[in-house]
Amino acid sequence: MDSTDQFHPAVSDLKRQLQNGEISRRDFMRYATLLGVSTLAAGQMIGLLLPRKTLAADIRRGGTLKVSQQVQKIDHPARFSWLMPSNSMRMVFEYMTLTGPDNITRPYLCESWSASDDLKTWTFNVRRGVAFNNGDTLTADDCIFTINQWLNKDVKSSLLGLVGSYLDPGGIEKVDDYRFKLHLKRAEIAIPEHFFQYTAQVLSHRTFEGDMKKRPHGTGPFVLDTYNEGEICIVKARSNYWQKGFDGKPLPYIDEIRFIDMGGELAPQIAALKSGEIDLIDASDNPGPQIMKAVNRDAHVQVMPVATATTRVMRMRVDMKPWDDNRVRMALKLCQNREKILALAYQGEGIRGQDFHVYPKHPEYCSKPFPRYQPQRARKLLAEAGYPNGIEVNLAVGSEWTDIVRYAEVLKQDAAPAGIRVNIQTMPTSQYWEKWTEVDLGVTPWTHRPLGTMVPNLAYIADADGKPVPWNETRWVDPEFSDLLATASGTLDINARRNIFCELEEIQMTRGPIGIAYWMNTWMCSNKRLQNVAAHPNLVFLFNEAWLKS
Amino acid sequence: MGKFIVRRLVLLLLTMLLVSMAVFLITEASPGNVARNVLGAFVTPEQEASFLAQLGLDKPVWQRYVHWLFGSDWKAARKIGLRLKRLVTEKGFVEWWAIDESGRPVRWKLQGDDLVAELRQPDGKTVRKIDNRRWESDPQGGWSFWGVDNANHAVRWQKGTDRKVWTFIMGSGWKQSSGGPEEYLPLKKGFIRGDPGESLRTGRPVGDSLYVRLRNSLVLAGIAFVIVMPLALFLGLLAGLKEGSIRDRVLSVGGMMFSVIPEFATGIFLILIVAVWWQLVPGATVFGEKAPWERPDMLILPVLTLTLIELGYVLRITRASMVEVMRSPYIRTAYLKGLPYWRIITKHAVRNALMAPITVIMLHVNWLMGGIVIVEVVFGYPGLGKYLLDSALYKDINALEAGAMILVIVAVGTQLVADIIYTIINPRIRYT
Repeated sequence: MDSTDQFHPAVSDLKRQLQNGEISRRDFMRYATLLGVSTLAAGQMIGLLLPRKTLAADIRRGGTLKVSQQVQKIDHPARFSWLMPSNSMRMVFEYMTLTGPDNITRPYLCESWSASDDLKTWTFNVRRGVAFNNGDTLTADDCIFTINQWLNKDVKSSLLGLVGSYLDPGGIEKVDDYRFKLHLKRAEIAIPEHFFQYTAQVLSHRTFEGDMKKRPHGTGPFVLDTYNEGEICIVKARSNYWQKGFDGKPLPYIDEIRFIDMGGELAPQIAALKSGEIDLIDASDNPGPQIMKAVNRDAHVQVMPVATATTRVMRMRVDMKPWDDNRVRMALKLCQNREKILALAYQGEGIRGQDFHVYPKHPEYCSKPFPRYQPQRARKLLAEAGYPNGIEVNLAVGSEWTDIVRYAEVLKQDAAPAGIRVNIQTMPTSQYWEKWTEVDLGVTPWTHRPLGTMVPNLAYIADADGKPVPWNETRWVDPEFSDLLATASGTLDINARRNIFCELEEIQMTRGPIGIAYWMNTWMCSNKRLQNVAAHPNLVFLFNEAWLKS
Repeated sequence: MGKFIVRRLVLLLLTMLLVSMAVFLITEASPGNVARNVLGAFVTPEQEASFLAQLGLDKPVWQRYVHWLFGSDWKAARKIGLRLKRLVTEKGFVEWWAIDESGRPVRWKLQGDDLVAELRQPDGKTVRKIDNRRWESDPQGGWSFWGVDNANHAVRWQKGTDRKVWTFIMGSGWKQSSGGPEEYLPLKKGFIRGDPGESLRTGRPVGDSLYVRLRNSLVLAGIAFVIVMPLALFLGLLAGLKEGSIRDRVLSVGGMMFSVIPEFATGIFLILIVAVWWQLVPGATVFGEKAPWERPDMLILPVLTLTLIELGYVLRITRASMVEVMRSPYIRTAYLKGLPYWRIITKHAVRNALMAPITVIMLHVNWLMGGIVIVEVVFGYPGLGKYLLDSALYKDINALEAGAMILVIVAVGTQLVADIIYTIINPRIRYT
């Protein structure tokens, strides 16, 4: 008997690949769970015993956790400007899936799902017995309502660009109260991961009317008590949450979480963390080594590191001179002295990059050599392109991203021998976001995404009409790359995917529009009394089972 | 005197009007975009346009200024044809309702092609009913209606146009319809009617946030003021008694030393030494919903920083003024008349020496209220200066305007107080 019979046919392929040593256990877990196999079942298939996270005897109930976080304006979760507001609200509202710190996506409010062989029809089963904090029961209607909110143009959600590219409102079908189907316009493997985007919190279709503060009816372990923008947000534990703790009583262990607004400056927040006035700084909107460097020798603070695909992309507009010539692009890429940039810009706390948007911990990553710093070759390429005397270029950077500013300074120095004179144009970060898709040469922050196909589908392809997609800041559209990427997005077999990615990476390295010098590590730094938490690559807070030592 | 005060008050109003216009124009001209600040960098142009329209930011600048100053509800009431009412719910949310023909508060929303009225009952609950009789035909061949929505806008809804939208209707599921909101007018009462509007950055009524921030700043500035000013005046007078004495040298050099170190440096040094090494007091202010006086230990370092900065400055001005007075002929005359030393100082010298410092001190009240933003940022202190800084960076016009008005009142008010103090110190000064 093969226990994989009831699962997606690709699962048995995955199993075979695992047995032949072609994929790692981690890859198997990731893909099997994406295809709707529960983590437990997937773990059993490969004989993996999930470790108990903590000894139950240690766990203590009660206590108040104090977090420093900018308490921003919120109304609609699908409209969160960035991760930070989602972190306080994810205590109250929950997601259909959960992508853990290990990049594996697990069932959550949807207890299981399955995909058709062509990956165009997905069936989701909604967990039974989950109640909103106003007493209503969670049903498929709530999930459908939430997805439709994303697809509603008037809601102004960033998910419209992501999910809307493969799903229309007409493609959502309610099967029964606890099951719904999505009929996609094209094959897509990353749906379960999209359901854990920070904007994807599940709303009550009965009571939600556009402002989550007025009717904070979510399924989460806490209820919203106070929300004063610019001051404080308080959430308190509810008594009938659907998940149970070690003692059989409902989670959470913590009684109350207070998110205190101390402004955006790090210095006072670090001082407060050291003195124990707060337990944790929410750094999700601005992850960097500053906090870690300030507290890593502190006796009261624990530092939890994680390697992420968050990066700084040096991007060139290929529809503008001189970047329309690949030789010029290549020349600038050759001016990146990666070790030096990583050391000086990010204090060596990351992994070197290779000028394609896939990082070594993505399952699809195909190993490639690291390009070296070659100013003489760059100079030759420039001469071939018709610039024997070199060129002068303006590099736009946001001044509040200090690592980008340092990156730009190193690049300016190292590009000079190649004949590229870089003028660094610093501007307030908000102003950079005003024109991030418009500047001809700039450095744009891109956040971590768990699958290698996700960013290329957002940033390096064209839409159905041949126009570059909204986030394609470089306007680079390469037919061969787009076709291969489409194939890769619909390919489940990891080795086949990785083979395609070898080609994709090669294309982006040799004629692509971007330079990636480094991938950034990030850290969660908390008071040692906060237990049973781990750093997530996006620094999202997963505190259902967190508890506080007395 | 009465006439003088009245004249000053008129001047105050005029200044406020001019400052409010200037702030509006400067904010308008400065770069930045509220939609991107609020929705994040990744909004599409359509989403941005829709957001700006909902906030009324698509209107011309003069119209927004008029709405800010006089409100927009009168204009909306004329369009809707019903009286409008602003009420605050039990949970503290501000809500606008139209008052229908029978005197009940009502709002509307569009469900598919149906207009649904929400009638507010006295207990705060709402009752819904279909209210399609309010549609009026419009010249383009469709139907339109001006009403109030549940997000405090007056909205013109339209149906029968070629626009297609998907809406979820309870009971019947998803439905495609042809209607939608076409034009927004955010409702507010206007500044002169006591409603400074809603912050674009936080979405909260500006008044609520500003009250807390103003209170915090008053506490910090007040404590610093009460400590610094008497101390600085006393030490300044002491130093100025005998120019060139050791006492004078120590006090003026010491004072100068602290006032030339920028406050961020002083603040960081104090945090490192007192809070991190010695661990005597907290190095940052974390109030949450508490008031500053409930955590006096957190006020120590900010107040100390302000004291060190301010002390030297006022001290040196007082000293200079005192030195000059002590050299004047009438002091010599008093000496020659054989008056006791302390009587000369207290009765003749000090009063005249205080004129200059009083002006400086009064100007500094203003600085203490809004200008101590650097100290606030270093300590994470939730004060007015930081609020205004954040608002300016966000182009949050309502918050900026209200804050500017407060600072104008403080500036003009302290000048008035200074003028009154002059007449007490120097009876020769008269105002008419």
